[in-house]
Amino acid sequence: MLMTYNALPLFKFIFMENKSAPTVPAKKRKEPFWLPLLPDGFRDFLTEAGEISRFVTRFFKEVWFPPYEFKEIFRQSYEIGYRSLPLVGLTAFIIGLVLTLQSRPTLARFGAESWLPAMVGISIIREIGPVIVALVCAGKIGSSIGAELGSMKVTEQIDAMEVSGTNPFRYIVVSRILSTTFMIPILVIMGDAIALVGSYLAVKLTGAISLTLFFQEVFESTDFSDFVPAFIKTFFFGFAIGVIGCYKGYNSKKGTEGVGESANSSVVVASLLVFVIDLVAVQITQFFGYL
Amino acid sequence: MMEPVTAPVGKSTAREYGEAIIEIAHLHKSFGENHVLNDFNLTVRRGENVVVLGKSGCGKSVLIKCIVGLLKYEEGSLKVFGKEINQLKQKELDEMRARIGFVFQSSALYDSMTVRENLEFSLRRHGKGKSKQEILQLVEEMLENVGLANAINLMPSELSGGMRKRIGLARSLILKPELMLYDEPTTGLDPITAEEISNLMLAMQQKYNTSSIIISHDMHCARLTANRLAVMIDGINYAEGTFEELSKITDPKVHAFFKNDKL
Repeated sequence: MLMTYNALPLFKFIFMENKSAPTVPAKKRKEPFWLPLLPDGFRDFLTEAGEISRFVTRFFKEVWFPPYEFKEIFRQSYEIGYRSLPLVGLTAFIIGLVLTLQSRPTLARFGAESWLPAMVGISIIREIGPVIVALVCAGKIGSSIGAELGSMKVTEQIDAMEVSGTNPFRYIVVSRILSTTFMIPILVIMGDAIALVGSYLAVKLTGAISLTLFFQEVFESTDFSDFVPAFIKTFFFGFAIGVIGCYKGYNSKKGTEGVGESANSSVVVASLLVFVIDLVAVQITQFFGYL
Repeated sequence: MMEPVTAPVGKSTAREYGEAIIEIAHLHKSFGENHVLNDFNLTVRRGENVVVLGKSGCGKSVLIKCIVGLLKYEEGSLKVFGKEINQLKQKELDEMRARIGFVFQSSALYDSMTVRENLEFSLRRHGKGKSKQEILQLVEEMLENVGLANAINLMPSELSGGMRKRIGLARSLILKPELMLYDEPTTGLDPITAEEISNLMLAMQQKYNTSSIIISHDMHCARLTANRLAVMIDGINYAEGTFEELSKITDPKVHAFFKNDKL
C-alpha cells in the first residue's frame, strides 16, 4: 500500500491531531534558577560536581542489588591489581631508595643517622607510599578505565549492552569501582613493603645493617596510629580513581577526540582528588588526635 | 511541516500481515533546537519487513533508538507490543528488550570478549535456566546460521567488517526475538558482502519469523529485504509503500532515492 498523509490534512488537523495518540512527555530535569547567574567557569565546575554526585549516588543505589557481576569484578581486579603491580613496585622501590639517599646527609649532619630507618619508614607508611601509589594508579588505571569506557561508548558497546537487557552501569561501572576500591589498598601495602626494601638497600649501600635490624627499627618507631588512618584513606583513593575514570568514560563525547579527552581528564581529576582526599584525611586524623 | 507527496493508494498491508507490533503516532524528538522527529507516524505488523529510507543524519537511527528505549521521545506515542515505551519501568523495558534484536551500524561487538562470549552474554542473563551445554549449542547453531562456525574463539579485532556484521546479527538473533531492528546493516561493506548480509537478513527473518525495521540508504538492500518502505524526510514519514510503488513516484524528494535504482 502506498500511504500518504496529505490525503487528510485538514480533517486530521481538526479532528484527529489531539485524539489519536496520548502525549507522553519525557521527564526533564529542572535547572536551579541561580545557576545561569554564576560565572561560566564556576557554573561548569558546579554542574560537573553535581553530575559526579549523581553518578556516585547511582553507584550506591545499584551496588546492593543482584545480579552481582562477580566474574567481571574478579576480571577487573586482576587487570587493575595484578597488572599494575610491576609499575607500582618499580616506582615504590625507586622512591624508597631515593628518599633514603636524599635524607641521609641531612640526618648525618645532626648525628642522627641511626634514625634513618625510622624516619623513612614513617614517611613511607603514613604519606609517601599511599600518595605515590595512588598517583601512579590514577595515571595508569584512571586513564585506562576512561579510555576503555569512552571507546565502548563511541562504538555503541554500552548501548548494545543496554538493549540486550543488561544494566551496563552495574556490569561496567559498579564492577570497576569495586575493583579499584579494594585493589588500591592492596597495591599500597605492597608498594609500602617494596619501598622499604628499596630504603633498606640504600642504607645497606653506605653502612652495615641487617634486614632484620632495619625492619625492627622501622616497626618499633611506628604504631597503630601510623598504619590505620593511612590504610583507610587508600580505600577512598581507590574509590575516587574508579568513580572518576568511569564517570569520564561513561559520559564520553562521540568521536576519538572524546575518548582522548576522557582518558586525559580522568587522570587530571583523579590525581587532584587524591591530593584533596589526602588533605581531608590528614585533617580528620589530626582531629581525632592521631598525629 | 513539509507537504507529503500524493500517491496512488494500493492494497492494504494490514490484511497481509499479523497484528501491529509497533505503533508510532505523532512522534517528536529533538536535540536542543534540532527537531529530528517531527510528527513521525509508522505502523509495523507481525511478519513484516519495513525499510526506513532517508538521508544520512535525518533521524533514522534516532527513531529505532526511541523504539528500543535508548532515547526518550518528547511527544507522541510509541507502542511496542502494545506498551508505551516511555511509560515502562526499567524491569519491564529489559523484559521487552529481550524480545527485540538490535543490529548496530558499527556491530558494537564487545571488544574484551571472544565471539562465543559475545553471543553468550545476553543468553546468560535471559536464557531462563539454560545449561552451559544448551547455551553452547545455541551459540554454535547461530554461528552456523551466519556461516561463521569457525570464528567461535576469535576476538572481534580479528574479524573483518562483513564478519563483524554477521556476528552482530547472530548475537541479536540468539534470544529468538520477535522484532529485529537493523541500523544500516550494509553500510561500509562492499556490494557482494552487502548482498550477502541482505540475503542473510531475509533468511533469518523467514527461519525465525521475525518482523523487522531496517534503517538504510542502501537501495539494493531495501529492494531485497523490504515488504514496505517508509521515506523519512525532515522528521516525517514523507511517503510509504512497496518498492515498486515508491519507485514510480515523480515527487523529486522521493524520486531522488530511486532514480539510480529503477526495477
